[in-house]
Formats: sequence, C-alpha cells, structure tokens
Amino acid sequence: MIQRKVWIIALVCALLLPCVLPYLTPYETNPTLIEPARAQAAWVCLWVITAAWLFFQAARFGDETSRSGIGAYFLSSGISGLSQMIQIWLACLTFLLPLVGITLGVCFLGAMPSGGSQAQMWVATNLQYAALFLLVVTPLMMVAVSLGSRFGSTVGYLIPLCMSIYGMYGVGYLAMMTEVQSNLLLDWLYVVSPHYHLADLTPRLIFKQGSMLSSEFMQLVVYFAGIKIVLAMFSSLTFQPRAVT
Amino acid sequence: MNSASSKPRIHLAQGLSIGYGESLARIDGEGCGILLEGGTHYLLARNGRGKTTLLKTLAGVLKPLGGDFECKGRCQYLSEDLTFDRELPARAILKALLNKAKLDDALELAEAIELDVEKPYGKLSTGNKRKVALLVAEFSVCDEDLDVLLLDEPFTGLDTFSREAFQKRWDQCQDGVLRLVSCHPDFDSMKLTSSVLITDGEIKHISTDAGDQSWGELKPQLN
Repeated sequence: MIQRKVWIIALVCALLLPCVLPYLTPYETNPTLIEPARAQAAWVCLWVITAAWLFFQAARFGDETSRSGIGAYFLSSGISGLSQMIQIWLACLTFLLPLVGITLGVCFLGAMPSGGSQAQMWVATNLQYAALFLLVVTPLMMVAVSLGSRFGSTVGYLIPLCMSIYGMYGVGYLAMMTEVQSNLLLDWLYVVSPHYHLADLTPRLIFKQGSMLSSEFMQLVVYFAGIKIVLAMFSSLTFQPRAVT
Repeated sequence: MNSASSKPRIHLAQGLSIGYGESLARIDGEGCGILLEGGTHYLLARNGRGKTTLLKTLAGVLKPLGGDFECKGRCQYLSEDLTFDRELPARAILKALLNKAKLDDALELAEAIELDVEKPYGKLSTGNKRKVALLVAEFSVCDEDLDVLLLDEPFTGLDTFSREAFQKRWDQCQDGVLRLVSCHPDFDSMKLTSSVLITDGEIKHISTDAGDQSWGELKPQLN
C-alpha cells in the first residue's frame, strides 16, 4: 500500500518533525528557544525533503517521459520538447508549493514572536526566505527533469543534488581556500560558483536578526534570477523527450 | 514538416533516405515518390528493415538522412513501447488524454474488447496495455481536423478478437483519418488494400484499386 506513496512520508515529515525535533534538545535550560528551533527545524526539513525527494521525483519524471514513449507521442502530436519540460516542471511545483506553504504555516502559527514589530519582521523574513528558496530550488528541479530525460534518473538526481550541496556548503570551503592561498583559478571558480548559501536565512530566524533590507534582498533576487535563466537555458537544450536509440 | 490541411496526406519524395547514421531504407527509382491519403495503409517489412525508423521520421521524432517528405495533418505517433503511469487505471488515462465527447465512445469500445478500465495500468497484461494505447490514439482524432495516425506494431500481444474489432472499426470509419500501421500479419488471407513495403533497403508502395491483395501474396516480396 505504501508503494509510491512517499509523498505521505514527506508530508508527515514537514508537519511533524518541526513540532517534535525541538523537544529532543535540552530545551528546559531555556524554553524561549523552542520557537526559533521550531522554525529552524521546519526550514531544514524543507531543504532536506526537496533535495532528497523532490529532485529525485523531477529526475524520474524526465526519465519516464523519454523512456515510456509518451514524450515521442506528444512530440509527434505537436507538443514541443520545451513545452513538455515546462509542464513536467510545473507538475513538480504542485508538490513543492504546498510544502513551502506548510513550512510558512509552521513558522507563522507555531513560532511567531509575540511583539507586534517583531511579528511583522518575522513574517517579512519568512516570506523573503520562501522567495529565495524557490528561486534556488525551482531551476535545479528543471535541471533534474532535463538531465533525467537525457541521462536517466540517477544522473538527473545526483547532479542537482551535488550542485545544491556545493552551493550551500562547498562554496564556503572554497572561500577559505582562496583566503589561504591566492590562486587565479580558485578565485575564478569562486566567482562563477552558485552561492546558494546566500538564500539560507535560517540564522536570521534563529537569532531574530530581522528581515533583509529591500535593496539587499533585491540584489539576491536578481543574482538568483540570473542563475535561474542560465539553468533554464541549459535545461531546455538538454531535455530529450524521446529515448536515444 | 507537419501541418494542418483540408486532407491528410503523406508524401515520401524520391531520394528520401532514413536511418541512424547510415541508410536503412530509401526511395529509389523514377517517379514522384509515394503518396498516401486517407484510409488504412499497412507498413510491412522483416525485422530491422526500418519500419519504426520510417514512422519516427514521419512523426518528426527523427530527422531523415536525405531527401524530403511531407506529412500533412494532425500527426500522432504511437510507438511500440508506449507505456503509461503504472499506478493509474485505464479509465484515468483515457480521461486525462481524451476530450469529454470522445471518452464515452472510448469506454464503450473498451468494454467491447474486454478491457478492465478500473485496473491499474501496471497490472494489465501486455495485450491489454496495447489496447489502452490504441484507444488513446483512436479517440484522440479530432472531427474538425484531419489526422495522421502512425501506429507501430499496434497488434503486438493483442488477441484476434480485439485486433479484428479495431480493423473492423477502421474499415467502417469514414473519418478521413490516414492510418499507417506497421505490423507482422499472422495469417495469409489477411486483406491489404494499400501496403508500404521495405525490402532490400528500398521503400515501395503497392496499392490494389481493383481488389484486395492478401498477406500471403505479398509475403514472398519481402527480403
């Protein structure tokens, strides 16, 4: 019965883990930390579910479209490869958007600070976080769909996963290396790397640093929109609606 | 090369060559090539001679190696290995892919050919899976458009009863649809009014206006 019902597990994780995990910490020493911890757990769960499950779903959809012959069928009836890819990608968003909604719901209903101005700031920070999260994750899902259609679901899954891990954590190590030794190649690599860690606003929520200034936020939006355009172009060139024979 | 027009038509011009890298089959000789219009045409050849390649080329899924062709009408290519989501029952697949007006007719034919539309697609037998794909193709044709159906071995795994039900429908339908059907007939008396043959790397058309030709008569020509 549970076969191919992983979405139930994802849904339960997104709803329950943010409520349960904070109580597994020594929260008794400072009970006021429960609420920020709940917000942190909600956003971390969303990142993990997206990377572990949604990227794989996107890659699998791409793979099945080309392997099942349905991509060739639609192509013959006049639905272009680009249109097919966008439709598969939109189908993946129908999984993602409710999960983002749940995360925001947990943060607003289960972790909202009591003060009026703090609450306002909290809402703004979470909305900024959701926007940046979507700008980072949605193009990677498109990459998963297109690579899955051409190279199979394993490659389609691993590449966006590695890109996201590299963008979140690897770039930080690269920054340390460039500080230790001056190397033109490393400097260049640092500049062209996707700095996905900038979209992670979890520390702002935990330490209640408040929302980003609109100018700062818009800079990030433009930066991630640029990456999105590049990845969308790459995906549209890579997507293969028919199996390679 | 696909375009809507008042009458469906496939024109394979002289010099058309199909294949993957090296030519599998081509249209040789003199004349204006092969012209197919509304009705059912059978594509016959031995294994590996280029039936699927020709259908994919006509569908725009593959590029020809050389020469030109024209495929006028709303095209649908039903590959031999077309499958659907294994969790969905046939009814849901038909509902998703067909318009409402055609759905009832499709379900009626499904019942006539004993297809369990409530069973998940993944649990259907090979023949019943083919029935789902054929129903999708048959009932996707639009009354206002003129359609070209390119069917790659649609009878594989199908029982005689169901195959005859589809053939009877094709014979009775005066819908102007052009069907190009690749198949390996399994009885010599099967009547073939119009056949496209691929033999010795050459694509030929045999049309019998005076009367039907049988598979038994055509079979010796294939090499």
